[in-house]
Amino acid sequence: MDFLLNAVSAVMATGPLVAMLGATLLGVLIGALPGLNPVMAIALLLPLTYSMDPLVALAMVAGIYNGSMYGGAIPAILLRIPGTPASIATTFDGFPMAEKGEAAKALKIACWSSAIGGIASALALMTVGPLLARATLHFGPAEYFWIAMFGMASVGVMVGSDPVKGVMAAVLGLLLGTVGIDQLSGQARYTFDQPWLLGGLDLVVVLVGLYALPPVPQLAEKCDLKGLSAAQLRLASVPFRKGEVKGLLPTWGRSSLIGIFVGILPGAGGNIAAFLSYNAAKNASSEPESFGKGNPQGVAAAECGNNADNAASMIPALTLGIPGNVVAALVLSALMIHGLQPGPQLFHQNPVLVGGFMIEMLLTSVLILLVGGAAATRIFAQIQRLPGVLLVPSILVLMCVGVYVINGRPVDLWVMLAAGAAGYLLEKLNVPLAPIILGMILGPMAEQSVRRALLISRGDPVELLTRPISAVLAAATLAMILWPVMKALKRRRDKKMSENNA
Amino acid sequence: MERSQDLALGLLFAGLGLAAAWQAGSYQGAGGTYPMVLGVVLALCGALVMLRAARSKTDAPRRLVDVPANLVKALAAGVIYVALILPLGFYTASVLLMLALPPMLGFRRPLYTAIVAASFIALVWIVFSLVLNKPLPAELWAASRLGG
Repeated sequence: MDFLLNAVSAVMATGPLVAMLGATLLGVLIGALPGLNPVMAIALLLPLTYSMDPLVALAMVAGIYNGSMYGGAIPAILLRIPGTPASIATTFDGFPMAEKGEAAKALKIACWSSAIGGIASALALMTVGPLLARATLHFGPAEYFWIAMFGMASVGVMVGSDPVKGVMAAVLGLLLGTVGIDQLSGQARYTFDQPWLLGGLDLVVVLVGLYALPPVPQLAEKCDLKGLSAAQLRLASVPFRKGEVKGLLPTWGRSSLIGIFVGILPGAGGNIAAFLSYNAAKNASSEPESFGKGNPQGVAAAECGNNADNAASMIPALTLGIPGNVVAALVLSALMIHGLQPGPQLFHQNPVLVGGFMIEMLLTSVLILLVGGAAATRIFAQIQRLPGVLLVPSILVLMCVGVYVINGRPVDLWVMLAAGAAGYLLEKLNVPLAPIILGMILGPMAEQSVRRALLISRGDPVELLTRPISAVLAAATLAMILWPVMKALKRRRDKKMSENNA
Repeated sequence: MERSQDLALGLLFAGLGLAAAWQAGSYQGAGGTYPMVLGVVLALCGALVMLRAARSKTDAPRRLVDVPANLVKALAAGVIYVALILPLGFYTASVLLMLALPPMLGFRRPLYTAIVAASFIALVWIVFSLVLNKPLPAELWAASRLGG
């Protein structure tokens, strides 16, 4: 815990504090705008952080992540439009509350629940993260190879509704990760005599294209010319009634635990955490029929669950270098931009940075209470008066300037456009995009680990499975891939049996 | 519709995987084996998607584009914008995009558009050029004036 104490003074400097406040405000704003999401915002922010102090850069990432997860609740409650995918479950009871004239109360509950979920998650990161990092010091190349494979398999299978397409996307990502000079042999691969490809495809350029560009044509297609009227956004401040907070405590506790557990699992995201928390609150309630009709417990469960996923998703990312979701992948990219290699060594080589990031995740969760109050929420709701059609060129300009300043190469703009077009089409064809990015990040690690392990074993692949930890990880990877196959076979068998019985 | 789209998607990935594996054949040693294996697995995944689509009894509708006209306009504006950044300069091309795209999409409030464009470009200029001092493609008008 010493590293956390040492990090406190570094975080309490002007730069990180201002960055946290500004980024949390910006995050709430981004979350409040339907069509924009935290992944897009952080992807756009990354190029900016090149010249920043790493703690300031990570403070901005933490603020935008936590802020936007709460911000998504604003349109979910006021308009039944989830600002982010994680706030879909918030619409179930948030919008009925708004229809009953309780919009301000629903927003207050969402704000408090988001902050509490975020704080619980940050505390979990601070306690579980260092323990896991210590355990992974015993890992060798074979273990790292299987960890990368397990991460890829779980993300490929769990993200999206079609596991085959998920695995296909993951393999595409791994293949894209091989572009450039092979670090072990010095051989150029898939560079087609183009000097700009020798260093490989720039991860941030592809990321911005894949994630930030597809919403732009979608906004253009939606063609919102009016924005919202002031009447739709009128809110008044409402204090908590006596005993109301006490009634929400069990929901906050349960949803925090669910969110933390989901966050640690690779592949599962804030939306799953919100749905599971919502269902758990409904099942535990003495009046489950009131859910979906404006029950404040529903808003509390969904918002607490989706924010409790945030910091917990950083646990495998910081300790193992395995990002469990795209935001964790972006945090890893931010660390790599600053020349830092995520994994257990990070805790030993840069304890102040890791501890500082953990504290920043905690403080930005607390800041939600400050910037997400009724008055601030009223201001954020006003941003929705801006016609969506004006956002289309604005986002495009922001993407281009962000991508151009990374390497100062015009060719990156074309790579970004190509990645964006591919991302737009693949999303429509039900191919998840997260495995592509995770494959690009984990690919080099997986390749180097397996080749090092084979060098150590003098080319004997059986050695990859003989150590106990690597054998368990290999079995877990196989189970992860076979699980959907078994499920599909069982479904088919059940269907056939029911047809025969009929 | 979904079936033919998945057939095309599977074919694309199978082709991509085979091409990657074939190209990896020219790389020496372990540096070639890894991408070759990945290429073969990608081709197999693509073939599986194709096979599943071919055997599927249902063919649910799945729209790739909701409003084709608006998509084409946004796409064309994006491509022209990127192509103009270098010859015209970043800020000139950006102002043109911000003024031209909203009316193309049917937004008929020129003053509102101009105010948003001016404020937004000013913000980008303050952040990237003034505070961060990032070099961006030079403006054509500034370069020609400097060059006399």
